[in-house]
Amino acid sequence: MSDLLCEINISDIDLTDKRYKILFSEDDITFLARSIKETGLLTPPVVRPLNNKFIVVSGFNRVRALIYNNRVHNNETKIVVYKTKPDTTDYQCLLKSITALAFKRPLTHSELIVSTRHLSQFLDKKQIAKKSSALFNIELNVRFVENLLAIGALPDPAFDLIHGGNLSFKSAKRISSYGKNTIEIFLIIFSKIKASNNKQLEIILHIMEISARDAIKPEFFFNNQAIQDILFDENKEPGLKTKNLRAWLFEQRFPTIFKARQMVRKKIKSIKVGNNIKFLPPQNFESQNFSISFTAKNYNEFVASVQNLRAALGKKELKEIFNQ
Amino acid sequence: MKIDTLFIDKAIPRNFETDYLISRLKTDPQWVEDSKTVYDFINDGDDPVSKAKKTLYITQNRGAVIRECPGTSFYTCCDYTILHTGTFCTMDCSYCILQAYFHPPVLQYFAGLEALAHNLEKTFSQNKIFRIGTGEYTDSLIWEKISPQPKFLVETFARQNNCLLELKTKTVNIESLLPLDHNGKTVIAWSLNTQDIISSEEKGTASLKARLEAARRVESKGYKLAFHFDPLVIYPECEIQYKKVIKQIFEHVRSESIVWISIGTFRFIPKLKQIIEKRFKHSTICYGEFIPGLDNKMRYFKPLRIKLYKEIISCIKEYAPNLAVYFCMEDEEVWEKCMGFFPKKEGELGHLLDKSAAEHCRLNSNFL
Repeated sequence: MSDLLCEINISDIDLTDKRYKILFSEDDITFLARSIKETGLLTPPVVRPLNNKFIVVSGFNRVRALIYNNRVHNNETKIVVYKTKPDTTDYQCLLKSITALAFKRPLTHSELIVSTRHLSQFLDKKQIAKKSSALFNIELNVRFVENLLAIGALPDPAFDLIHGGNLSFKSAKRISSYGKNTIEIFLIIFSKIKASNNKQLEIILHIMEISARDAIKPEFFFNNQAIQDILFDENKEPGLKTKNLRAWLFEQRFPTIFKARQMVRKKIKSIKVGNNIKFLPPQNFESQNFSISFTAKNYNEFVASVQNLRAALGKKELKEIFNQ
Repeated sequence: MKIDTLFIDKAIPRNFETDYLISRLKTDPQWVEDSKTVYDFINDGDDPVSKAKKTLYITQNRGAVIRECPGTSFYTCCDYTILHTGTFCTMDCSYCILQAYFHPPVLQYFAGLEALAHNLEKTFSQNKIFRIGTGEYTDSLIWEKISPQPKFLVETFARQNNCLLELKTKTVNIESLLPLDHNGKTVIAWSLNTQDIISSEEKGTASLKARLEAARRVESKGYKLAFHFDPLVIYPECEIQYKKVIKQIFEHVRSESIVWISIGTFRFIPKLKQIIEKRFKHSTICYGEFIPGLDNKMRYFKPLRIKLYKEIISCIKEYAPNLAVYFCMEDEEVWEKCMGFFPKKEGELGHLLDKSAAEHCRLNSNFL
């Protein structure tokens, strides 16, 4: 049952109804508009008649590009579209919208999340997984669909963060298991910082573990002045905020380890063995093996480093490091 | 915890031991050809660990009955010998490694007193001291009320003089042991913790008071005792609480009755954390200052371990200066800083404990 190819007025399209929109970004359509102007519309959008208007099923950017051309050149008042038949169901429109994009290029995580969220109105997770190759052009297992649906239940700002790379898929999955208030604080945090997946997970882990350990709710912990100062400092770059937040959280999560590291660092610094010598304490202070190393390009450099080490022998801080 | 499903391996003979178990369990047994049925039953649920705690599988031990404790790399082991009488446990301690150790965990009771006797005879005939325990993969006394095995073991060990039997437990299941002629060869050991930790992390176990009362009762029947502070858990003011426990030990029993006390702080393989978080939502036991140890287990930051150990050891030594206290899985630095010495040579710690075993349990000291 194919859609009907016809010409309609651009002004009859209601772009505000985005029920079938799975494409996340509002791409810059200037180039697409120029291309349509130059070569014509190669693939007409799919629209659905609704209340004397048309809503877009697939081809939001193409419609936007034509509207743009209409505005700029004032000569594009008509558009060729595929109009769905009157008996086309909501579910069928959704399938058209998903498959049109999925078979053009691989869907992003955000698009998969939005698609499965829409599909869950009609299919359960097993059915979605079973039909995934036909819908998404990729096979998804039930577990992954389950994750998509869990993330799909997050509030809308989460999708912008995922799409913008501020919230990883794994982090989104992790926070999706928390309560509403806790989810909200993480969405605020990740809107203010820019961290890799591992760092995001570390931040989530530390906040949740500190809150559990201290028997306070994460949202109360979030109100801590130190966190607020880091996140809402308008003069700091997101990268620097991430670094400061991680350092502060580590101090709260591992106070004794933090102090021990600080103390040893301070003592190593006070020995002044020179920049050429690397002096590393045992990892996590679990083994007893300190590592001291240097490189030398020539004999003089070698002698200089040895002399620096010899000079350090008399310093009490050196003994303290080893005998602590 | 009540057993609600009982599977019995068709391969084991119907005899006194199985009849004894069946008559006391009051659960209709399902005889099975192989363990697959049991595994499938346990795995068919959201929480196989909890299900496994209520599902008993009586079978036979098809592996080694007597084996060396596996220990762990980089940390000093006490050269213990394990008598493999069963697996898993009916009690539900949040930190229990058995939840993550078996795939899936199955509550197995290994029937076959003859097989036990046969294997033990070979060990009894060696010219060497053995410290043998049944509490490594299970609790030694969880089946005491329904099984003739503890009685059998105590009486079997009573007839030799180079092996000590250690029955390690968090229960107070001692009634059947009290009248036995143990000949001093059985040590009844309790894992101890502060009542705070028992209440929050050791679901289904006996209270501290009950454990110490039970220790007093078995001591009155001439049994030797041991105590294991493992895992020590670090929490605010824990030092004070652990010292109170030590005080209570010596208020209940004489120091001369104690063969050894072991201590070890909480450590865990990383995957146990997920299990604890899933099964014990209120537990905060994993949120201490843990670092990856040299054996890849998570351990408390060493200065924190040393601080707690020092307090506990000095407290024990105040009550019993000559009592054998040892670390379960610690390294040279911890030994040196807390005990003032390190059993560096292979087997040295084991030898120290063998000596204490020989002295307390009248084992043949010529084998030392």
